[in-house]
Amino acid sequence: MESISRITNFIDTARDLTLEAARDASNARRGPTRVLPSGQLKKLLDSRSERDVLEGLRRVVTMSYRQPPSQTLPFFTHVIKNIASPSLPIKKLVYIYLLQHAEHEPDTALLSINTIQKSLTDKNPQLRALALRVMSGIRVPVISQIVSLGIKRGVGDMSPHVRRAAALAIPKCYRLDPSTEPQLLDYLSTLLGDKQYFVTGAAVAAFLDLCPDRLDLIHTHYRSLVRKLVDMDEWGQLATLRLMMVYVRKCFPRRTKKVRRAKLTNNGNTKSRGTKGFYDTESESEEVDVDDWEETVVLDSDLELLLKSCLPLLQSKNSAVVIAVARTYLYLGTPDYLSLAIGPLISLLRTSGDIQHIALYNVVQVCLSHPKPFVNYYTHFLVRSTDAPHIWRLKLELLTLIFPHAQPRLQSLILAELSHFSHSGSLDPGLVKEAVRAIGRCSQTTNPKTSARCLKLLLAHIGSADAHLVAESLEVIRHLIQRDPDSHRTTVIRLAKHLDAATSPQARASIIWLVGEFAGLDPENNIAADVLRILIKGFADEAEAAKLQIVLLAAKVYVHHLNANPPPSPPKASISPSQSRTSILDDLQEEGGFRDSHLDSSLQSPPAPLPEKENPHPIEALWNYTLLLTRYDTSYDLRDRARVYKSLLSTPSSTQLASLLLLAPKPVPQTPSPSETRKNYALGSASLVIGDEGGVGGLKGYDGIPPWVKEGKQPDPALRNDVSASSSSAQSAYDAGRTVSAAERLDSAAGGSARSGSPATPLNGDGYAVPSNGGGGKEKEKTLDEWLASESESEEEETDDDEEEDDEDEDEEDSSEYETDSEDEGESGRLMK
Amino acid sequence: MSTIEALYIFDEHNTPLLDHTYNGRPPASSTLLPLYLAHPSPRPSLIYLPNTNPSTLLYSIIQDQLLFLCPCSTDTEPLQILEFLHRTADALEDFLGAPLLASKIEANYDVVAQLLNEMVDGGVISCTEPNALRDVVEAPNFIKSLLGGVGLPSSTPSSLTAGNSGGSFSLARGASPRLGPSGGPGGASQAASTVPWRRANVRHTSNEMYVDIVETLNVTLSPSGRPLAAIANGSIAFTAKVSGVPDLNLQLGCPGGPANTIALPVFHPCVRLNRWKDRPGDLSFVPPDGRFLLAAYEVDLLGPAALEAFSTTTTLKSSPKLNIPATVSVQTALGPSASDFEVKLHLNPRFAGSKSSSALSNSGPSSRGGGGRGLSGAGFASSATQGTTAAPTVESMTVHIPLPASVKNVTDLRVSRSAGEAGYAPGDRGIEWRLTSRELNALMANDRGSGTSLDATLRGTVVGADADDLHDAENGGAGALSTNTYDYDDDAAGSYQSSSSSNHPRGSKPTSKPPNVETERKKMKVLMPSCATVSFSVKGWLPSGIKVESLGVDMKRSSGLGSGVTPYKGVKYLGVSKKGVECRC
Repeated sequence: MESISRITNFIDTARDLTLEAARDASNARRGPTRVLPSGQLKKLLDSRSERDVLEGLRRVVTMSYRQPPSQTLPFFTHVIKNIASPSLPIKKLVYIYLLQHAEHEPDTALLSINTIQKSLTDKNPQLRALALRVMSGIRVPVISQIVSLGIKRGVGDMSPHVRRAAALAIPKCYRLDPSTEPQLLDYLSTLLGDKQYFVTGAAVAAFLDLCPDRLDLIHTHYRSLVRKLVDMDEWGQLATLRLMMVYVRKCFPRRTKKVRRAKLTNNGNTKSRGTKGFYDTESESEEVDVDDWEETVVLDSDLELLLKSCLPLLQSKNSAVVIAVARTYLYLGTPDYLSLAIGPLISLLRTSGDIQHIALYNVVQVCLSHPKPFVNYYTHFLVRSTDAPHIWRLKLELLTLIFPHAQPRLQSLILAELSHFSHSGSLDPGLVKEAVRAIGRCSQTTNPKTSARCLKLLLAHIGSADAHLVAESLEVIRHLIQRDPDSHRTTVIRLAKHLDAATSPQARASIIWLVGEFAGLDPENNIAADVLRILIKGFADEAEAAKLQIVLLAAKVYVHHLNANPPPSPPKASISPSQSRTSILDDLQEEGGFRDSHLDSSLQSPPAPLPEKENPHPIEALWNYTLLLTRYDTSYDLRDRARVYKSLLSTPSSTQLASLLLLAPKPVPQTPSPSETRKNYALGSASLVIGDEGGVGGLKGYDGIPPWVKEGKQPDPALRNDVSASSSSAQSAYDAGRTVSAAERLDSAAGGSARSGSPATPLNGDGYAVPSNGGGGKEKEKTLDEWLASESESEEEETDDDEEEDDEDEDEEDSSEYETDSEDEGESGRLMK
Repeated sequence: MSTIEALYIFDEHNTPLLDHTYNGRPPASSTLLPLYLAHPSPRPSLIYLPNTNPSTLLYSIIQDQLLFLCPCSTDTEPLQILEFLHRTADALEDFLGAPLLASKIEANYDVVAQLLNEMVDGGVISCTEPNALRDVVEAPNFIKSLLGGVGLPSSTPSSLTAGNSGGSFSLARGASPRLGPSGGPGGASQAASTVPWRRANVRHTSNEMYVDIVETLNVTLSPSGRPLAAIANGSIAFTAKVSGVPDLNLQLGCPGGPANTIALPVFHPCVRLNRWKDRPGDLSFVPPDGRFLLAAYEVDLLGPAALEAFSTTTTLKSSPKLNIPATVSVQTALGPSASDFEVKLHLNPRFAGSKSSSALSNSGPSSRGGGGRGLSGAGFASSATQGTTAAPTVESMTVHIPLPASVKNVTDLRVSRSAGEAGYAPGDRGIEWRLTSRELNALMANDRGSGTSLDATLRGTVVGADADDLHDAENGGAGALSTNTYDYDDDAAGSYQSSSSSNHPRGSKPTSKPPNVETERKKMKVLMPSCATVSFSVKGWLPSGIKVESLGVDMKRSSGLGSGVTPYKGVKYLGVSKKGVECRC
């Protein structure tokens, strides 16, 4: 979803003016007038008037953003003095200052710890949370134990805000002092089981930060986490989905049923099973059929719970959540689930450019493995003239990826689209290049008919005046031909015809190379020799790149000729001495390099007329002629090469080495989709976007998708449902759980009294560890549904409370309770995120 | 794990405005900015900087000309960071007022600091919901009024100091929140609301609700004028200023039914998804206080049958026609030297403006059939319809014609019938042709009654970069050295076989012919524009034809709103094209 401010931009058209006006104002304002001399500032901070202190603090905070810390450090003691102020605004600003500067003055900062600790027991939960946050945020390692104690207190707090602050403080405390880990793990496992989705989200984030490998802590909370997923805030959802990624891979072995398929193939049962959605599974078996009937993935019921509870998140306004769900479905689910995520993925493309860019990478990644469902969304992949290069590159790739799966009409649309950009993309040479390559990729995957069509498109480009286009087209044509030489015999001939029209040296060189490469393909009617004959005529006017290729072509043609018509052996024997003599002589001459050219040529000439007095074979003549031409060329490179070829081919009877060199089979070029190189990176990661540039194996901190756990190696599934076992094993968790529910009870009791009209009476007592319950009545533990339900039917609440007293830790019970609540209401008041 | 390490904000002149470090030791803003700027524009939102220490992933967004940078040293979910940056911008705007300006941030560093501290805790994103932030941070305008009363609990319900009301000061204001109807079971005060996205104790003296639906057009037309793709991206912005906790119901309607029209919706967390699933077009929600984005969706204006129409029919008539205010078509390679082009702007007479007779066809009482949304064809209703949609007005019509880089100049820019003016300076990468609404109206008035589309034309001649060199080369022609890479041998269009030049290998180039017209055309083709885009905005019109059928408060389920109070309701529609209508050629 676009951010609201961008939409506001559309609506308020007069906004540019405002910007203009305000900029002037800002320039005027940015004077030095606002900076007070430090003496005066200190006076403000030391003042007894809260108003002055506040003003002073605001100035200090402003300074800390505008200037290096050395400027604001002198006020440290003056600021810290105010930490005991009863005024909340002052406290907050002091805290902000403290967070920024404590590291520079650890000793003085310690003085403030005591006051902050006092605030941990304040009546105002906001202040308690704030104090906890600040205390853990001060990076002074000495206080790690105090922080740990603070967290412990916070974990048992009644306010979810404080508990959340405690959760977030855990990794900070660990960073201060890693030796506190055992205690922290204890707190964490308590918080993971918290009833408030608000808290669990943060707890999961802390878990991932602190000990992502301690999956044993998750087992008991797995189901409640999954159920809370929908209600968490978007950041909590992200953290939880990330955790589940690892957890599921390590705890649910991938079970497939092949046997079943064998049984089912013959009766019609398979068909109906396939068309049936997986929602009506309760009565049916829990299997979901994969597209190809090869194997059937059997989903664990707990895993299915996760997959199903992800569904509502696909409509999230947060693009990262949508990607995270898609990732869950891609790596954990089945293709059926994944297809549900395709639409939401596409919907990310309509957002602002920055998000669109990242989303496209992810769409491509999914499309690489599951291209089919994307076909219907082709309109979203059409390149627009306003797209930035990094956008259209990915869009073109998507078009080629869906191409093989598209119906013929769509295929022609895509090809028309691609050829449009290859023609008129002179706007951007890069776009031309990519479009041509995309055509090439389209042609390699489909049936011969489309392939021929792509080739036709490409061939039409050769005569263009756009050098980029011609060069790139030939490159792609070359790849196509090399991949399947036999079916492209005529293509080579057509290309040769284009030599008349092609102007760019690079293009000519490419064509000539191709002709030479396929010179031996069909010896009876090969055009290579003829092409050579024609080219030789204009040799002098060719560019160097083309000349090099002409010489190569000549050499290849000659080798083929020699291979096809080996010189008769007796003459060879007679000739060889002379031949070898000349060649040796020749070589000597070359090494000396001081020979006159006419002498050289006179030496050169004998071998040709010598062997047969009658006319030499035309090809041989052509070869000699080529050598002659190159000998006097201005380019060193050309002359050197000609010399190499000449000595290679100097003995007409022994062409083995020459054949090896010149006619070596070329590797077939592969042009995979550009993103194929990133295929191994996990969906939604930054490494996917950066690619191998960030180092092989991804960027720092990149964790790949763990492999599925092997059957039999997974932890006992019973761990996930046995709550009592866990509470006995982790006694502290159980205790904390009791306090939490006590808070709830208090809350609901207070709720009842408030509804009856009387002010909230602080219900203290029950001997629970909560220090001050004065503010307890403020706290609310209920979900929105409950709360809405309570509005209409207060009795429900009461019974609920009774229930809760009995089964305190059993989330399942609770949530089922809620379910019935809302159903009783009869107006489907269930709110979902 | 995802960690926000720091947030840097720069103003429009790239001077640093704010440095806020959350976690770790990220590279300083002063080192990152030059590296960011060194990246060629347009800059992607994620840049990898391997040369910093530690190597950094740099995320960036630009909002209201302010540049937000966020460095990360480890692999994170990129969209998470980008979404966070957007939320930060939104929150700042919410607190400091739109538009977000450098001066506003500078004047309110204390508020900004509190916000930034609330949103991220130790590098973990913790709270970005604007309403929840309102509960814990006071907006700047309150602070001024409160300066006199520091230490006293504030009168504003959102104030934090309300927590003190149980203490010594309770007698002063304790009553007011308690009276608050949404105070609910908590009694005296609530630090946090029960609805996570709605702040507690909302009170407004005048209750108002506004719905703004904005649709952005994305239309691609093939050279023949056939639409290849036509998508309208819609966003529903909602402004709720209603006391208590209202439970609202918004019903959308459109020709063809919302179920078939509205595709790929995303919702604010407050929307009840089940309701939407049962009855598409029906949005039931408890809104946050203030302005927020309720939902976003898209509408395919062509319908699913678009592909069928693509290649079976070759005639233009049968192709689906779009009902949009303006389209454009480009013709290139005109004139004797094939260096002219012509851009035609076709205006839809339906949008003639002030006349009430030009009501939208889809807002008429007779709703057309299922597939007909967005497509023209039915005669437009002559009776005036609902208020705002009666006379949609087209504004700020602009045509952009991007030019290839090799174009050095455009001469002879002529606009027919004095319809607007075209802006171009030599070296520009495009031509901008603006039409004011007055000129548009004049155009429309001219052709009233003809019923066909109204055209305005722009003609121009392109001059390529090498036009002069090209002629030089021809004059120097045959004698040019063969080593010269700038070889112009394509004049010799005749084939090698047919050329009767001598067999001599070093013979001069085949005799040069007079400049070939075909070649010339080919050269010019490279210089021609390849597309043109139209931008406009239309108030009171939506491409999809979606409209708000009803907006109501469910009194049974809401609380805190006095009985008999009906909030004032307002609905606004806006159809926008931001270079969104694109025609190729």
